[in-house]
Amino acid sequence: METVTITLDGVEVSGYSGMTILDLARESGVDIPTLCHDRYLAPTGACRLCIVEDESSEALLASCVAPIRPGMVINTQSPRVMERRRLLVQLMLASHPDSCLVCDKGNQCQLRKLGAEMGIGLVELQKIPRLAAIQEVNPFIERDLSRCILCAKCIRADQELVVEGAIDYVGRGFATKPATLNDMPLENSECTFCGTCVAHCPTGALMEKEKSYRGTATKTVDTVCPFCGCGCILHLEVKDNQIVRVKPGESPVNHGTLCVRGCYGYDFIQSPERLTSPLIKVDGEFQKAPWEEAISRVAAEFKRLKQEHGADSLAVLGSSKCTNEENYLLQRLARVALGTNNIDNGSRLYSATSRVGLGQSIGFPGTTNSFEELEKSEVIMVIGANPVVSAPAVGYGIKRAAKYNGAKLLLVDVRPTKLNPFAHIWLKPKVGTDVVLLNGLARVIIEERLFDEEFVTRETDNFDELSDSLKPYTLERVEKVTGIPRQDVQRAARTFAQAEWASIVYGNGITQYVNGVDSVMALANLAMLTGNIERRGGGIFALQRENNAQGACDMGSLPDFLPGYQSLDDARARSDFERRWGSSLPGNAGLSALEMIEQAEAGKLKGMFIVGENPASSFPRPSLVRKALASLEFLVVADMFLTETARLADVVLPSASFAEKEGTVTNFEGRTQSVRKAIEPIGECLPDWKIILQLSKEMEQPMPYSSPQEVRNEIEELLPFYQRPASADLEKEDLDWAELESDSVRTRRLYKGPFPSGFGRLSPAEYTPPADISGDGYPLTLLSGSILPHFGSGTRSLRASRLKEFSPHSWVEVSQDDAKHLGLGDGDPVKVVSPVGESTTTVRVTGSLPSGLLFMPISFPDSPVNELFDIKLDPRSKAPFLKSCTVRVERIKP
Amino acid sequence: MTRTKKTTKSDLKKIDAIIGNYRGQRWGLIPLLHDVQMAVGYIPPQAIPSIAIGLGLFPSQVQGVISFYTQFYTEPRGKNIVRVCRGTACHVRGGKTILKLVKQELGLEEGETSPDMEYTLETVACIGVCALAPNIVINQDTHGNLNPKKVARLFEGKKKK
Repeated sequence: METVTITLDGVEVSGYSGMTILDLARESGVDIPTLCHDRYLAPTGACRLCIVEDESSEALLASCVAPIRPGMVINTQSPRVMERRRLLVQLMLASHPDSCLVCDKGNQCQLRKLGAEMGIGLVELQKIPRLAAIQEVNPFIERDLSRCILCAKCIRADQELVVEGAIDYVGRGFATKPATLNDMPLENSECTFCGTCVAHCPTGALMEKEKSYRGTATKTVDTVCPFCGCGCILHLEVKDNQIVRVKPGESPVNHGTLCVRGCYGYDFIQSPERLTSPLIKVDGEFQKAPWEEAISRVAAEFKRLKQEHGADSLAVLGSSKCTNEENYLLQRLARVALGTNNIDNGSRLYSATSRVGLGQSIGFPGTTNSFEELEKSEVIMVIGANPVVSAPAVGYGIKRAAKYNGAKLLLVDVRPTKLNPFAHIWLKPKVGTDVVLLNGLARVIIEERLFDEEFVTRETDNFDELSDSLKPYTLERVEKVTGIPRQDVQRAARTFAQAEWASIVYGNGITQYVNGVDSVMALANLAMLTGNIERRGGGIFALQRENNAQGACDMGSLPDFLPGYQSLDDARARSDFERRWGSSLPGNAGLSALEMIEQAEAGKLKGMFIVGENPASSFPRPSLVRKALASLEFLVVADMFLTETARLADVVLPSASFAEKEGTVTNFEGRTQSVRKAIEPIGECLPDWKIILQLSKEMEQPMPYSSPQEVRNEIEELLPFYQRPASADLEKEDLDWAELESDSVRTRRLYKGPFPSGFGRLSPAEYTPPADISGDGYPLTLLSGSILPHFGSGTRSLRASRLKEFSPHSWVEVSQDDAKHLGLGDGDPVKVVSPVGESTTTVRVTGSLPSGLLFMPISFPDSPVNELFDIKLDPRSKAPFLKSCTVRVERIKP
Repeated sequence: MTRTKKTTKSDLKKIDAIIGNYRGQRWGLIPLLHDVQMAVGYIPPQAIPSIAIGLGLFPSQVQGVISFYTQFYTEPRGKNIVRVCRGTACHVRGGKTILKLVKQELGLEEGETSPDMEYTLETVACIGVCALAPNIVINQDTHGNLNPKKVARLFEGKKKK
């Protein structure tokens, strides 16, 4: 790039051509005030406050949009500039209400700050008040457009970052204002309440709707969002040991955005339902107990059970919500102190399929490239995922890629989602037939010789076996089984194969289906055939439901793997850990999460330690799970709340929330980020790592760590992917390890090196038609899934006051045809009955579902959708199928 | 006599055909809006989402453009558009009274359309024939040097109806 030299406030500085004066000034440490500028948004030059004077031409230029040119002599503070800026601020204040005293924006108002800096007290201009506030009933955002300065940050954040398009300017001249379609309240618009506009608004025009005065934060802490697997950075504002506000933190993942959960879902921390002291069940009633008593009781019982029934009568269920350090400690506790490999974590329900499928084909358990690269892909295939809801930051990225980078979106989903308007091709396979479609695509790619021959020969094996296995997947058969017209299959295959960089994004719609493992392998085949594994762009992106699902598995909270996916059968790996931990390790594979429940029911499992998971709600057939857990001799639950699971426990240990502890978590793309302590633990709560250390000590197996940092040092020493590169700046905390080294054992970015096992294995994927299409009596197909305002089994999101207020109850979505046929209307109470269970809820008629399909959200324990799913495990992934089942709907007579 | 005009299915069909001519072409918004207005007489708000999807824009963006230009209408308009000039010259020569008279004749306020969809009354800032002030424009015809009698004569036909 060409170097351009200009004179800036009397000093010669150089930048690159195309840079704006503002960019160069900021880079050179020269401060220029702005109101409408934001690093994440395209500059528009709306506020004009950034004007500077070019002395060579005497022009006043808006520096945020004026590019540097050779020979410019820029004065950022000439008398003319200062006078104009002052006038601009005065004009803005003239149409701004005098409400600073009661405005909650307070000292964070940038207009007020500029006014103060320029010494503008009373505005001598005639006041022209703008429009008043808008009445809105949503619990999140309040708009008072009398404070709007028309910087368009909200509109640009909405359109450029979140790509929702809920608002734009309406009218012109004095009447201009940002408005929704037909000027409706936000709750009647496309708005998803992600809070991004509020975070970007420089004045009090867009505010959090919170009536009580909270004042200015005394401390801010950047940490990782506790909800989905995206791993967005939250900027917490803290005052008086309370989190008063959350804003998007600086991060390449969230890019200045958040979602409604991250932005408004944090107050479960201060829920009155938080447990504040350990509880011990005495005669069926919980009684408060001191920590020493609770811990010694737990240790004594575990020791007794181990002695009486052997170590394998005990099991530990770790959490995909706990930090890496906690999961590492937990598996060490299980393997050393308890002496069993019966350890698993809650991500079994949704990520085990990926681990098995990808493990077998690419030898690598997870996403192969970074989120930034996803946005640069030419083609993005989204299959079995609704990232707009389940992983909003990824959803935003996909929409940005499609709308602004020209990426072609191949959407594979039977249900229309908010990604539809961005789709280049929308394929609607019948429920559960994804693997047929994927094989069909692969067949077209091979038949038309669209695959990357060089890559396939050099880097993969098993090609002949794969192409043989694809023979039955002719276009005719694909069309017949999936219901997708053959031209569309061909078009999609060509589009995917012909792209230089193509990505595949998939989620629980793949992993929780009966053919999950095969579908994952079929996806990997597509990526390998087209050479999209080792390129810089493109790759496979496996979405994770929870914020540390990847990390919990990496840390070895798994029954068949030691930390870092080192096999239990690998004697050398085992002896490495044995030496390190000074204890022999059990060599037999342990029980997976659902096998624990089966064994508990069978009476073979006697004691369990469940940390931060709620199987009595999140597992299939919660009523059976509850029965199984209740039959345990001894159950210990560490959680923030008295969940459905904790109620069954003999001892409940109060855990600290994400904001009350330190550690690291690993997001869906393998980025390890720091969780930082913002407030002191509520009541007597302790972070899980402390609980585990105390318990281990009490069991006479003390672990030599006194802080999460010490655990992390060991993790970095022993685990692939977590090793700290020698060249890395040790002071910097949030390294993206992956970017620093090219060794793929250390990183997760497969584009930089060969497959871990040397070859990618093209693996034939077989289609098994779903067995339970019984039809008789169950004519409808139910899909379950996430919804935006809630998360997981709702343990936390239903205790976040605003999320609960916005979305208090479950529902079942019924298509217009089915509703008419069944005589159902909005709000009718119904019973949804599957061959194994039933659940009651209310009807919501929707125009977007095809007839014969129903949708039910998973996050409401009062209407447990999991009750409808059988506990049937995939033999390879040991995961249940929680995505769809056949049901009928019965009206409940009032 | 027809009452206030509702958007009919045939209107929406016409609009769909127009959208088809511009599909995927973001630059085509303003010509598309003109075409819709020519075909239907105005731009029905319920057509905004399909226009937006057709062009790859957000509905709010389409609404923003429509509301920016005074030449685009989101409500049905009368067969005859009466524009009363409120420019300086017309004002000096009694434009205000002319407007009052026109309002009386039509029984309409500014921006309103008669229930029989015959007349829409608007005011404009200046039509550029100040020499003939005060002026009004009915459809494409300019009527200058107006006085109360002339105004009455202009709307005689309406009274008979």
